[in-house]
Amino acid sequence: MNEGIAGKLAKQFINSKITPLLMVASLLVGIMATFMTPREEEPQIVVPMVDLYIPYPGAAPAEVEARVAKPIERTLTEIPGVDYVYSTSMPDFALVTVRYKVGEDAERSMVKLWSTLMKNMDKMPPGVQFPLMKKVSIDDVPVLNLTFWSKTKSPYELRQSAVQVADELKKISNIGDVEIKGGLKRQIKIELNKAKLQQFNVSPMQIARQIQQGNTQMTSGDFKQMNQELVVRSGKFIESAEEVSNIVVGIYGSAPVYLRDVATIVDGPEEVNNYNFFGWAAAAPKGSLSGEYPAVTLTVAKRKGGDASVLADKVMSRVDGLRKTTIPSSITVSETRNYGATASEKVFTLLEHLLMAVVAVTIVVGFFLGWRGALVVLASVPITFALTLLIYYLLDYSLNRVTLFALIFVTGIVVDDSIIIAENIHRHFAMKRQPKLQAAITAINEVGNPTILATFTVIAAVLPMVFVSGLMGPYMSPMPIGASLAMIFSLLVALIATPWLSFRLLKIEEGHHEEYDITKTGYYRLFNNILSPFIESSFKRWLAFGVVGLMLVGAIALVPLKAVQMKMLPFDNKNEFQVIIDMPDGTSLEQTARVAKEVASYLKTVPEVASYQYYVGTNAPINFNGLVRHYYLRQKANMADIQVNLVHKGERKAQSHDIAKRVRADVQKIALRYNGNAKIVEIPPGPPVLSTLVAEIYGPSQEQQIALAKQVKRVFEETPGVVDVDFLVEEDQKVYNLVVNKERAAFRGVSAEQIAQTLRMSLAGMDVGVMHTDKQLDPVTIQVRLPQSGRTSLQDLSGIFVQSQGMGTLTTRLRAGQMIPLSELVKVEENIQGKSIYRKDLRRVVYVTADVAGATESPVYAMLDMDKKIEKLNLPGGYSISPLYTGAAPSDDKLSMKWDGEWQITFEVFRDLGTAFAVVLVIIYLLIIGWFQSFKTPLIMMIAIPLSLVGIIPGHWLHGAFFTATSMIGMIALAGIMVRNSVLLIDFIQIRRAEGADLKQAVIESAAVRTRPIILTSGAVVIGSVVMLFDPIFQGLAISLIWGGVLSTILTLVVVPLVYYMAEKKSTVTVKNKK
Amino acid sequence: MSVKRRIRVYLLPLLLALAVSGCGDHAETPVIKERQPAAVAVNSIVPVRTGGNSAQGELLLIPETALFRNGEMTGVLVVGKDQRISQRWIRTGRSLNGDVVVLGGVDKGELVVGEYNPGLLEGVTVIKSPNVTEEVQSK
Repeated sequence: MNEGIAGKLAKQFINSKITPLLMVASLLVGIMATFMTPREEEPQIVVPMVDLYIPYPGAAPAEVEARVAKPIERTLTEIPGVDYVYSTSMPDFALVTVRYKVGEDAERSMVKLWSTLMKNMDKMPPGVQFPLMKKVSIDDVPVLNLTFWSKTKSPYELRQSAVQVADELKKISNIGDVEIKGGLKRQIKIELNKAKLQQFNVSPMQIARQIQQGNTQMTSGDFKQMNQELVVRSGKFIESAEEVSNIVVGIYGSAPVYLRDVATIVDGPEEVNNYNFFGWAAAAPKGSLSGEYPAVTLTVAKRKGGDASVLADKVMSRVDGLRKTTIPSSITVSETRNYGATASEKVFTLLEHLLMAVVAVTIVVGFFLGWRGALVVLASVPITFALTLLIYYLLDYSLNRVTLFALIFVTGIVVDDSIIIAENIHRHFAMKRQPKLQAAITAINEVGNPTILATFTVIAAVLPMVFVSGLMGPYMSPMPIGASLAMIFSLLVALIATPWLSFRLLKIEEGHHEEYDITKTGYYRLFNNILSPFIESSFKRWLAFGVVGLMLVGAIALVPLKAVQMKMLPFDNKNEFQVIIDMPDGTSLEQTARVAKEVASYLKTVPEVASYQYYVGTNAPINFNGLVRHYYLRQKANMADIQVNLVHKGERKAQSHDIAKRVRADVQKIALRYNGNAKIVEIPPGPPVLSTLVAEIYGPSQEQQIALAKQVKRVFEETPGVVDVDFLVEEDQKVYNLVVNKERAAFRGVSAEQIAQTLRMSLAGMDVGVMHTDKQLDPVTIQVRLPQSGRTSLQDLSGIFVQSQGMGTLTTRLRAGQMIPLSELVKVEENIQGKSIYRKDLRRVVYVTADVAGATESPVYAMLDMDKKIEKLNLPGGYSISPLYTGAAPSDDKLSMKWDGEWQITFEVFRDLGTAFAVVLVIIYLLIIGWFQSFKTPLIMMIAIPLSLVGIIPGHWLHGAFFTATSMIGMIALAGIMVRNSVLLIDFIQIRRAEGADLKQAVIESAAVRTRPIILTSGAVVIGSVVMLFDPIFQGLAISLIWGGVLSTILTLVVVPLVYYMAEKKSTVTVKNKK
Repeated sequence: MSVKRRIRVYLLPLLLALAVSGCGDHAETPVIKERQPAAVAVNSIVPVRTGGNSAQGELLLIPETALFRNGEMTGVLVVGKDQRISQRWIRTGRSLNGDVVVLGGVDKGELVVGEYNPGLLEGVTVIKSPNVTEEVQSK
């Protein structure tokens, strides 16, 4: 008897003592790996992104764009590996964002960027300051947020406590950035008194200079004397507000003028620049306080590669310790984000699903093979997963939702190899043709090789998904890698462990002694009844094919009919969402706070909301989405973020997405009452984008672009299902331009710079130094400024004086030091602030953004809907535009529009998956040709692939689900599984024919014999997938596997044998004729 | 210890499932109940006035007695259309004859409690007491 690899392996291990040892060892290392692998929620995504802040004080956006943004962008695009370059030119500075291709090495990218930037710094105009370079990475996202709030303490006191706690926490190993959001810092405020300044003949500039000069201390050198060195030090740092007030800032008459004479010195909280409030809401734990309280948030990020849950545990226990010492009892510390806990929870839920899937599959197997067979299969799964988890650990993967998802996804598939082997051993035991050991080896030999082939077809099916490019790549690639690894291990387990277990566990039943006869089995009779009529009558056969064809066409037709909609990924059920409020530019901090409070008061009443925290004038702690959207720059007075924490998903019925949809209208109504724009921002399930729907508008001039953007925005607003419409064009903001009268300034001996500096110091304030104290952890700045009440209107500027520099300027004969009122030197012009200029990949662009929710959940349909309306828009010049999908228009001569946002990623993913699928088909074809040595047979086997669509698409329709990227993955994997079923089927036909059976008999027998393993394996896939059905993200995959699996299994069992019969009949006839 | 926590985390969904299935029929009682307490009488409810001269432009004014402070933050109690009060943070400028100039946070014509009283909590319904007596004021 000839033995394949499978037989040889089985023979080696079936009676070896090493086999159980191997099994136990792999289980142990797997368990160890599970606890040692870092856990996190999101997969590690390396997208080097660098923000360059380039200050160009005084320049208008257009100038910033032309002199700074444009030349820098041009040089940056030369760097290899750069994917996109975005820039925003604002008044006074440019923000250039460089995004590298996914997976580029972050440090190397920084070096390249740095050297390119340095090479071109000489081309920058004078006045441009040195750029600030900030690398942005996923590890900047805080994993833990602690909100310090109190009934009695002020934001200043809260911050003091938080700073102390932060200092303690920093000592924990593996901790990343610790930051504090909100609260007020300690500051020495020097509030100038205009009248006194004039009286004592002191100018603000003079004060600044005196403080700076008084706040120095240095080592002057040393004396050498008597074999000793004596250090000489001079000067003294400012150490208290008292010292500041005693600084002599001028001489009046013959008496010194102290700072306290001309200004009020206040040591205390800085001027209010943010509002941060926390409150419990409707679903808060019982006994919680109502009302809202000043709050400060301490955010903790983790170090790259660290375990979020371990870090969170350590921090929390440290904070518990500090509660007794550092944190006053009047301050409550609430945990408002713990990604460590959510990651752990997600990981354990997924592991639990995994367990459920395994148990469900075991029960199914038990029905067919008895409990002993079930036990054999059950034992093989943990070993497979243990080994896969070990490889995850060794490959530095973390346990996150994607890597675990890969495991759940293959649960139904990895048991298959074991099932096939165990089932065949079971069958051979039942046949009782050979002694036990011999029977087992024969059984393995019979199915071993097709199993190996089948495993490789499934691997061939999933592995090409590695090539999904772009941001979606890191979300996808662990899946094919994990699944392929698991498949290989499952094959090894099936060939080594399963025979050993089967041999020991499966019993030869004693009951019946008659010779095994296939024709007497129920399966045979069934297939004889079903297949015979089709085999005998070609008309019936064609009719059957016709019916199947119609079903296929019908199923596919559901897609254009919109019965099944496409979407990249559905929303996950999260425990939080954010509300982003944008008030018109120029809105005061208090007005924004008022709107935020009103929105928060509404959110408070939503039954699922547990707590909320709003941040005005400072950004809420970011998440990965906020990182990509640059939400960390939301620190202006007209911006507010509300962090909404929902009750745990186990304690509410509604999904977070449904809650978000429900509150959207009311939230927006409140914001709109104050001319604000509010958006509900959910955590996207996949890679974040600027917005779900983005229309990029290109054109010859900014005015035309904005005009078109306004029209497009209107189209957005009118389209049902399109929500959160906004565009990145600022409202007109009034600017007072104080133009210096040059002649007059020259006559008075005052320079334009002096005027600008004095004004800046008076209004925005100027930090003139820090107080040197070792007790304070936050630096205490010394700031010179006019008090709030003295800088409210243009009129207030009249009392500000500048000092003549006298003869030094060479333009005047006035005595130096004479006080000149500012109002004499400047003329007020009212202007409109220049609008920010956005550029993407070297071209000016205006973005219109929106989200989809409600009437349509998939951006693609909204886009198609809006296309028609946008094409009808009237444009200057009388031409029309048609939105582009895949790339921007080649030139800016005419207005054009391109869709971006989620679409761009969807497009890339489905394109890559489509390509992957095509490659899969070719590889499978080649594999089967290699095995069967026939060009025709593989085609017959692959008929099963399109048949899966008959189940998949109507399945989605039945569940009212979207056809998502995970559905597509399911479809691709199913192709592998279905081909494997065909392989097993046809392999047996060929074995039977080689043994001399008639073609018809062989076809029916094969169907009968293989039905059980095929139903078992497909059943395992179907049952294993049921647990995923309730997960919002994996639902599509589950539907594909369940419905596609059921339908195509049934059809495969009928259609494939029939097609094979038809194809082989002719060749059989010709062979006979030749004979 | 961490193993313990892991086990706890692992058991959590199970326990939650049990808990939820056990108490599915009665709804969660919200913390903030719709209380209807008797309206509190306050001495004065005044509208935000406008003042100022042509040079300064229009200014928003409220009485200085209406202000309260929490650290560096300044607030007033605004009386809403439903007679309920809510804390509002404002930015103040200079004082003008017992009034203070508001730079941001309130609109012209909005009603504020003229004399701040720390006993007045967010959400309380207030009415203007018809006859102000000395006792009430001293309270």
